[in-house]
Amino acid sequence: MDKDKAVLLKGITKYFPGTIANDHVDLQVTRGEVLALLGENGAGKTTLMKILYGMYQPDEGEIYVKGDKVTIRSPHDAMKLAIGMIHQHFTLIPVHNVVENIILGMKPKPGKSLRVENVAEDIKELGEKYGLEVDPYALIRQLPVGMQQRVEILKALYGEAEILIMDEPTAVLTPQETEKLFGFVREFTSFGNSVIFITHKLNEVMEIADSVTVMRDGKLIGSIRKTQATEGLLARMMVGRELELTTGEREKKSGESLLYVDSISVRGDRGNMVLKDLSLEVRKGEIFGIAGVSGNGQEELAEAICGLRKIEEGHIKLENIDICNQNSLSMIKEGIGYIPADRHLEGLVLDMSVEENLILKNPSDPPFSSKGILDWRRIKKNSKDLIRSFSIKTPSSSTKVKALSGGNQQKVVVAREIIIGTRLLVAIQPIRGLDLGAADYVHKALLEEREKGKGILLISTELSEVMTLSDRIGVMYDGKLLKIFQREEANINQIGLLMAGVTGERNGTNG
Amino acid sequence: MILTGLLARALQMSTPLMIGSLAEVFAERTGVMIIAIEGIFLLGAWGGFVGAYLSGNLFLGLLFAMFVGTCVAAIYGVMTIKLKQHQIVTGTAINIFAVGIGLYLYRVLFGVPLLPLTVDPLRNIPLPFLSRIPIIGEAFFTQNILTYIALLLMPIGCWILFRTRLGLIIRSTGENPEAVDSAGLNVEKVRLLTVLAAGAMDGLAGAFYSIGFLGLYTNDIIGGRGWIAFAICFLGNWNPMGAFLGALVFGLADATAIVIQTSGFKLIPNEFLIAIPYILTIIATISRKHFNVPAVLGTPYIKERK
Amino acid sequence: MNGMGQMDKTNHDENTTLEERMKNRDGKGWLILWPLLSVFLGLFSSGMMMLLLGHNPIHVYWDMVNFAFRDIYNIADIFAKATPLILTGLAFGFAFRSTLFNIGAQGQFYMGCVAAVFCALNLKGLPSLIVLVVCLSASVILGGLWGSLVGFAKAKFNANEFLISMMSTYVALAIMNYLLRGPLIEMKGEYPQTDVIPESSWIPSLLPHTRLHWGFIIALLAAFFAYFILWRTTLGFKIRAVGMNRNAARYAGIDSRKIFVIVFLISGGFAGLAGFMEVNGIQHMLVQGFNPLIGAEGIGIAILGNAHPFGIVLSAILFGALKVGGNLVVQTSTIPSSIIGIMEGFVMLFVILSYYIQDRISVSRSKRQLKAKERGGHK
Repeated sequence: MDKDKAVLLKGITKYFPGTIANDHVDLQVTRGEVLALLGENGAGKTTLMKILYGMYQPDEGEIYVKGDKVTIRSPHDAMKLAIGMIHQHFTLIPVHNVVENIILGMKPKPGKSLRVENVAEDIKELGEKYGLEVDPYALIRQLPVGMQQRVEILKALYGEAEILIMDEPTAVLTPQETEKLFGFVREFTSFGNSVIFITHKLNEVMEIADSVTVMRDGKLIGSIRKTQATEGLLARMMVGRELELTTGEREKKSGESLLYVDSISVRGDRGNMVLKDLSLEVRKGEIFGIAGVSGNGQEELAEAICGLRKIEEGHIKLENIDICNQNSLSMIKEGIGYIPADRHLEGLVLDMSVEENLILKNPSDPPFSSKGILDWRRIKKNSKDLIRSFSIKTPSSSTKVKALSGGNQQKVVVAREIIIGTRLLVAIQPIRGLDLGAADYVHKALLEEREKGKGILLISTELSEVMTLSDRIGVMYDGKLLKIFQREEANINQIGLLMAGVTGERNGTNG
Repeated sequence: MILTGLLARALQMSTPLMIGSLAEVFAERTGVMIIAIEGIFLLGAWGGFVGAYLSGNLFLGLLFAMFVGTCVAAIYGVMTIKLKQHQIVTGTAINIFAVGIGLYLYRVLFGVPLLPLTVDPLRNIPLPFLSRIPIIGEAFFTQNILTYIALLLMPIGCWILFRTRLGLIIRSTGENPEAVDSAGLNVEKVRLLTVLAAGAMDGLAGAFYSIGFLGLYTNDIIGGRGWIAFAICFLGNWNPMGAFLGALVFGLADATAIVIQTSGFKLIPNEFLIAIPYILTIIATISRKHFNVPAVLGTPYIKERK
Repeated sequence: MNGMGQMDKTNHDENTTLEERMKNRDGKGWLILWPLLSVFLGLFSSGMMMLLLGHNPIHVYWDMVNFAFRDIYNIADIFAKATPLILTGLAFGFAFRSTLFNIGAQGQFYMGCVAAVFCALNLKGLPSLIVLVVCLSASVILGGLWGSLVGFAKAKFNANEFLISMMSTYVALAIMNYLLRGPLIEMKGEYPQTDVIPESSWIPSLLPHTRLHWGFIIALLAAFFAYFILWRTTLGFKIRAVGMNRNAARYAGIDSRKIFVIVFLISGGFAGLAGFMEVNGIQHMLVQGFNPLIGAEGIGIAILGNAHPFGIVLSAILFGALKVGGNLVVQTSTIPSSIIGIMEGFVMLFVILSYYIQDRISVSRSKRQLKAKERGGHK
């Protein structure tokens, strides 16, 4: 039938334990076009695409590729149908080189040798054709993220993909790299190929897409041509209501200096210096925001402040007392709260109950225990109080945290850290993966703590979040703070350029 | 004379360790630790003896040992890879089971013989020309067939692991199974087949103890040698050549203990010599960083539940 | 727009890994049902093995039950056999709560044996209570210290505790064998074993004319101690936190390395105590090649008991019953004693399989509930 329909999904449904990830979703991709799959995090976009790529099996629904009904049991089947996928978390093997990573997926077939030299040659050619040059013999772990993404794309192209799924490909890219990626997408589709572009960023949709499919809570909300779409309309479809940023004027409260980071240098996990001579100051009653593309040393900075990472040079002072290179326990005792980037990995013990997670950082403090014996009555009372005041939705205080929704889990972390952080709060991506209501709640809580005179260091890759909440904004790039803006003088374009490492003095990027 | 004897013995003792640790290297490179290795060694020894005794043919004994090893590995593999149960827990269960079943089936087949049943163990085959080289000729080139097989397997293993697409797949599976899945390969199949092959090799290694030189089966014939092979894989940095060297060191320590014991040299208690390989393992384990450890070693691949 | 954070992990929140599910059964009733079913299937399969030797398994099991419960001596013996198994079960299970693998309970047990027998032999003439307290403490301390070496290696060098504890067992075995052949050898100097320890160092009997001794009560107290530490103290809180999410524990200011050492110290103490039970309570001497599987059986018991101290007690009693009944059957028929190992092995394998089945059931139930909810919503 419709030969120009590259892909047609009909009524795809996928259950996960405890949730419906996709609820009768339809989707259609035309040849030679870019389809943007738009939705908030957790809307079910990735699940739907993993079904198309054969990594998940749908519980219900039909898949048509180029008009034929197909069953895709594995990525191998998908590849045979010329479907390729660039995952959000790259599926590359860090200790292998580029060629090895590309060979991995290829079956030897007549006329196409899989000798390393030949493949390396092919990769070079392919790279030149699409402007995706990369050294075939470089180890993946030595390549910057943008290059790793190229390898992922080359892998798909080498497998002769005609339908390319890209899952949030710009999340790890600078604006310049993003431009380059868009250039590739345009060229790739100009040959009659198709791209499904997963994103939650409206501006990207407007720039690159030919048509848009919007998902929310696992359901299809609608599909429209880009020409008929406006950002406002898409935003409404995506979140179900008009976006409302909690901006508004506010009183300047910042007082005396609280945290003083004095030209510190810190090593990353691989032993290289990721913070270089970085200085900043957080005052009482101030939110100091740090903007930047992820992986520029933000997490290391937070960990250094919270006593989780060794400081090679420089000092950190809390109200003029040197707190450099103490352990994390003494930082907790100093009143530094830390909302880490990954609540599952770093913030919570998922198999412990809500009440246990709420005392995770201070079980030995009164009234939770005395002489090493836990007082469960007091622990429960503490938990019930916090559940009420932070309106954490949980069946009971002794429910395991993993049974809670993401937003409520984050509230557990925030509640605990606000209690712990009597003086300073360090927060990385505090609304990561939350729905709007929960995100709003967390932001309000942070602003409330600011009102109480605490200092807050807010680190986020979402420029809008930083700009909305912060009193001052620093832009971080390659382990340095390039510039610090006052709230009033912050300019989104200038910050965007700085995030890419483009400073006024010298142009061009490096690293 | 003593030196020749020592070297010959060392090579002999290291033969099953080479085969077993090579098997472990392959399995662990796909992300699966064969914790059941001690049990597979034991049942391999059992299979080798039973096969050889009943058929009167040592070669059939070796084949049967490999078959038994594959079967046990299949149980272990299905439970840990397909059913995704914990490797250490499952392996321990199989090891306990192996001790019981080995003795039990021996009893079922042979009753309670007054004297332990024996077969003639594998004969040494002097290699033409090479075996005439002084000292090392007799030590290295007058061994039984399994030793030669082990010596051949090591470079072959190296070649497969680092020079072939199969090896690339195996290595990738232990580093990033999602990448392998995404590349259109079946992670569970790769793991299961590798574990089956490793089981066959472990069975062969176990058979060395029963029909390789003793010619009989007892329930304590392995006595922790499976664990040694397991440890050598760690020590050899998940590299066949490292495993080869590790096996030689352990074989040498083992041989020295035996030589000193039989020579009546009483200054060092025998038990300490026996303990040396284990102490060496501990020291080596704590004094070296395992930079090659496969990234997902010990974790099942769960596809649909992020 | 207000960004939602870019690195989403779709559906991470509502889904759990298999191991998490393993720890999280649905109701209390299932907790008992599944182990019982596994035990039944394990015994059934072992029965099939008996057919190979021409025995009717129903008769054999009937005999087993009859023998085991024939008189008070045998019933008491079940608990006597369970005593050291409770402790080696705890040795694995306690460390398992911290996701540490103490495979070295066997070696820690041997060290406990050596300490107990050494003290007993050298404290002749002292009042019984003092001797017993000294023997008990010595075995706990030596077993604990031996175990804590593993924890130390893990903490200090980030060594693989599984491998180290495994190797340490063989070293402990060598040390014990050396002592039995040298310094501790019996007066006659004939066999590698010690003399019988003086009667003042025997653990008093709990029931007259049986082998059940006060050690069983001590083992129960040890299980309660383990439970108390894990769920009633800040130390246990930290141990469990480290076990369930080592990374989050680090962020919470918990020093995992300290926990590693403490956990192995306590675990080793349990195993060492088992040595005291066997030497002073049952054997009243130390013999070479003694109880070689008690450590491995402890692992099986801990798994069957879901690594919970009270579950471990029940599983250990079950294993004790298998041993007593099995031994009696072995003595009175031509079934070899290895049938006991087979029964234990089968039971363990079926327990593991039951984890898998429970998981499947809970997954499909969850799907069904969702479908039902969805249909309800559409109406």
